Amino acid sequence: MHRFANPARFLRIARPATPLTFWTGLAIVATGLAWGVFLAPGDYLQGESVRMLYVHVPTAWLSLSAYLGLGIAGFSVLVWKHPLAEVVLAALAPIGAAFAAVCLITGSIWGRPTWGTWWVWDGRLTSMLVLLFLYLGVIALMRAYDEPSQGARMGSVLALLGLVNLPIIKFSVEWWNTLHQPASITLSGSSIDSAMLWPLLTSAVGFALLMASAVLMRMRALIAERKVAARTARMAMAAA
Amino acid sequence: MTQTDYVIAAYVVAAVGIGSAVLWAYLTMRRAERAAQRLRER
Amino acid sequence: MTAAQTRMKPKTQRLIMIGAAVAALIVAALLAMPALRQGAAYFYAPADLAAAEITPGQAIRLGGLVEEGSVARLPDGITMTFRVTDRLESVPVRYAGLVPDLFREGQGVIADGRMQPDGVFLADTLLAKHDENYMPPEVAEAVERAEAEAKARSAPAG
Repeated sequence: MHRFANPARFLRIARPATPLTFWTGLAIVATGLAWGVFLAPGDYLQGESVRMLYVHVPTAWLSLSAYLGLGIAGFSVLVWKHPLAEVVLAALAPIGAAFAAVCLITGSIWGRPTWGTWWVWDGRLTSMLVLLFLYLGVIALMRAYDEPSQGARMGSVLALLGLVNLPIIKFSVEWWNTLHQPASITLSGSSIDSAMLWPLLTSAVGFALLMASAVLMRMRALIAERKVAARTARMAMAAA
Repeated sequence: MTQTDYVIAAYVVAAVGIGSAVLWAYLTMRRAERAAQRLRER
Repeated sequence: MTAAQTRMKPKTQRLIMIGAAVAALIVAALLAMPALRQGAAYFYAPADLAAAEITPGQAIRLGGLVEEGSVARLPDGITMTFRVTDRLESVPVRYAGLVPDLFREGQGVIADGRMQPDGVFLADTLLAKHDENYMPPEVAEAVERAEAEAKARSAPAG
């Protein structure tokens, strides 16, 4: 485990991977969104509003996936106490929170012309808001302790507890009557016409790469900050 | 507001939200890595 | 060997304990959440209403499909009536106010309001419920044509 999660080894991969994921991600997002906005058809019921799908749905998928990553990182922090897992935890939380916030706001903007309301407290919307608060809670907990690994442990506990929210978000539309529609893409196929599905999948791939590049940047920032802190502490010791 | 206005609003939110997250990540990375580099050179 | 074993032990122990705790938590949630059915439901379907013993005047939400051919405007030009159905039961609704763009027959709707003693649901607000289907207008038309044709074909036989 440690052999693969070694920071030096990670940096050797992360340095070239950061610009690569960023630029390909940006190009693919631009392609997917231009496809969705200018080429894809409007919807028979929603009309032009359907174009919000291409940002709302990828950010929803990615904020859920990132939270799963946060849970795995939290698990590794608690079980193996590995420093790189702490870095992943601290790097994923704010990026995941940004994606969850964009998902909630774009969903709200879609809801106004489609449903006739900005917000309702139904199962899907409420559990998605809880996801954003879980992200913010993990960030706050990690910062609440002077000792970073103590904060990482507390953040990990919350990240793991919050994992229950993922199936709740996923199945909320099946368990309960909700205003939000049920899933369109299931194991048995897609009820989104292929003229809209392909730009959606394209922009989802692009957003995923952009998210990966942002997480890599934050991980590199945190590793460098830790190096500076360790070196400064050593120099202070030597001077004393 | 027409439907197009809502669509534009949603894309602006997405661009500002995701864009500022990536920009913040980039700027903090550059600052931290430069600080680490300076310390190593000292 | 023994040193390595004793060093491995707390780690393996943590792996099992934390793994079991997370699994238990998720299983508990998966079992508990669907049981909250009505408590967490955003609206009542027409068939739920009879079972739920709603008293007239109590504020509730009613959700379902707008029954085909049921939408009518009263002579005052503002008030409309329609029926909300879940294909089991259907409830008459009266509403006066702004109608969302997506409100149409055969589509989902959620109405905030109260049952009246005469069995008519008086709605204060209407929300349109979208379904999971996304398609261009041409495809929707083709689907509708195909359905009409299938119906026409099966009618003489039955």
